Amino acid sequence: MPEEVIRVENLVKTYKPVVAVNSISFTVKEGEIFSLVGPNGAGKTTTVEILECLRTPTSGKASVLGYDVTHDEKEIKKRIGAMPQDFSAFERLTVRENVELIARIYQVDPDLRSVLEELGMWEARDRRFESLSGGMKRRAGICMALISNPVLLFLDEPTTGLDPQARKETWDVIRRLRSMGKTVVLTSHYMEEVEQLSDRAAVIYGGEIIAQGSVDELISAYGGGIRIRVSPYNDEIERVLMETAQKVVREDSSIEGVFHDRIQVGRTLAALYGQDEKYHLDIVEPSMDNVFSRLAGGRVDERGELI
Amino acid sequence: MTGVVAVFSALLKSWMRSKAGIFFSFLFPIMLLFIFSTVFGGGGTSQYVLFVQNMDVDSKGNPTELSQGFVEAVRATGAFDMRSLEHDVDIKEYVKMNPSFSFRYRILVIPEGFHEQAARKKVSVQVKVTVNTLEFVGKEFAAYMSPEDVEGIQRGELALQSVLGGQGGESPQLVLWMDEQDMAAPALLGIIHGVANAFSNGLLGSEEVLALEGMPLEQRTLKVVDYFLPGFIAAFIMTNGVIGATSTISEYRRNGQVKRLAATPLPKTSWILGNVLEQTVLAFILTGVMIALGWVVFDVRLVPDAYALSLVFVGAVAFCSVGMVLGGVIKDVEAASGAGNAIAFPMMFLSGAFWPIEQMPDYLQEVARVLPLHYFHDGLLQIMVYKNPGNAGMGFVVLGCFAAVMMVIAVKITKWKEF
Repeated sequence: MPEEVIRVENLVKTYKPVVAVNSISFTVKEGEIFSLVGPNGAGKTTTVEILECLRTPTSGKASVLGYDVTHDEKEIKKRIGAMPQDFSAFERLTVRENVELIARIYQVDPDLRSVLEELGMWEARDRRFESLSGGMKRRAGICMALISNPVLLFLDEPTTGLDPQARKETWDVIRRLRSMGKTVVLTSHYMEEVEQLSDRAAVIYGGEIIAQGSVDELISAYGGGIRIRVSPYNDEIERVLMETAQKVVREDSSIEGVFHDRIQVGRTLAALYGQDEKYHLDIVEPSMDNVFSRLAGGRVDERGELI
Repeated sequence: MTGVVAVFSALLKSWMRSKAGIFFSFLFPIMLLFIFSTVFGGGGTSQYVLFVQNMDVDSKGNPTELSQGFVEAVRATGAFDMRSLEHDVDIKEYVKMNPSFSFRYRILVIPEGFHEQAARKKVSVQVKVTVNTLEFVGKEFAAYMSPEDVEGIQRGELALQSVLGGQGGESPQLVLWMDEQDMAAPALLGIIHGVANAFSNGLLGSEEVLALEGMPLEQRTLKVVDYFLPGFIAAFIMTNGVIGATSTISEYRRNGQVKRLAATPLPKTSWILGNVLEQTVLAFILTGVMIALGWVVFDVRLVPDAYALSLVFVGAVAFCSVGMVLGGVIKDVEAASGAGNAIAFPMMFLSGAFWPIEQMPDYLQEVARVLPLHYFHDGLLQIMVYKNPGNAGMGFVVLGCFAAVMMVIAVKITKWKEF
């Protein structure tokens, strides 16, 4: 049974009159990647910064690695690695110098090369931080967070503003952290990112956690099922869908069946393949996007705004 | 302590790679030192421009002998860069028609009839002196003289008084036109008045009762730049601390660097002390560079001793702490830079770092005496120029207290949470 590394109970943070975090509770287990996902202003960063001891909770309890966030700041900071949102480093110092600075603060003497190589930053070690691309800056930030060999890492919006290629490279880095046995707490407004990386996630909206669980559980519970869309359709196709789907939606020239059972999806497809008439068929798997839309009544755009 | 050293070395490396940082910390002060030392350090003329309108001319338009003699006497003082103005020029119109004619120019008008009036006045004064002498002799020595002699003296007195009746008259009235705001006016009036007195004595053939000779007070042959240097060192340590540290801290807060460090075990005090240590080292480097330049370029005689270096240390800590306070309060970089400038520049000019505060109005002198920079540069001046470290005691006390208070405020005000 994995050990619990974070426990949050009824955590509240207010900036009068705004309630940024409203009585949230969750746990994070050792070795997992746990995501807080939601639009801008949902309370993700506030929650993570409370856990990093960068903010003081208004009420509720939170412990990190068994230490209380309000009383054991020093002990927590010694044991965690953090990459805050919109962080920066000394712009005119090289990657190596910035990482060494953090190592000196932690009073550790790590194998710098292995850390930089692990995250693909060894070649860029002598480049100034100011000359790095956005993606490399994030990777350098993760190197800094990792240099003290912490058991727990907080990555606050690690891919926001990056181009798709840089985002995918950062995902690879985060996957490598998992293979290194690190526990990672991630915040993001990218649903795909959460789906790709997380073991478990909490959907946070308006300062409240509106759903949490493993990604599969969330999709299964809130994703709205697998959809088979056929166009054009005839009476026979309509009959097959009416018999097998939980729900059928007709539009002008297409028809859509919604399924919560994959076996039923298989049967339906087999029945549809037997049809003589030519038609176009789409199978749409549910995703975290669907989960969020269903829970919050809207989608989150590229910039993290709710639309 | 490890954290302090780590922050210090990172800040120092970062500063050394910043062209703008090096320019404003070192090159800008050096440029100003060159400019000030060149402008005020001799080599150029320090004469005042004086236009002379001599209206005492003969029928051919040539100046009369006496009026020309007076002009030459004024020129002989060496205080003026003298230029002529035609005798028929209307001064008020001339000034109005020449916009470039500023408060730096003055016009001395020698009136028409100067020669004649002066000659008449000369006779009148000489007669008066003779009459007074006869009166004095008649009263004081009558007992030793025969009645005929006394009577002769009285007749002579009467005869001279009758002459005086016809020779009396007003002194020729010289006029010096100046701007009301001309700060040099009292000094220039004094110079011309002195020339007029000497000229009068010369006409009368009398001798000076009092004599005056100018002697250099400072026997160590110090140059103007020797006096500037302590002020410059103090002023730029102050600006580096107040403006430089404010902007840097504010920028680090804005771009998330402070938050990055706050998420590590680095204590807040280590961050502050690392910054103060960096500014202090820069202050010592600045002091060394300025004095070395002074030696090489201006041949100055200043050598900083332990007292001077101690005061530099206290000053650097004090003013960097001000920067930490401002940078801790103001997150917007432009606003922080503006606030630093708003504090540093008035202090720089009001404290008397660049000129003696005695040249300023009384109320500004009072202002200067409450500014910590005044005690900083005055302390350095006392130690480095006058070799009187004892007189810098007040500087140590004021700056030390100021540094302690600012440091406490900086620690209180610097946010290490709730960014």
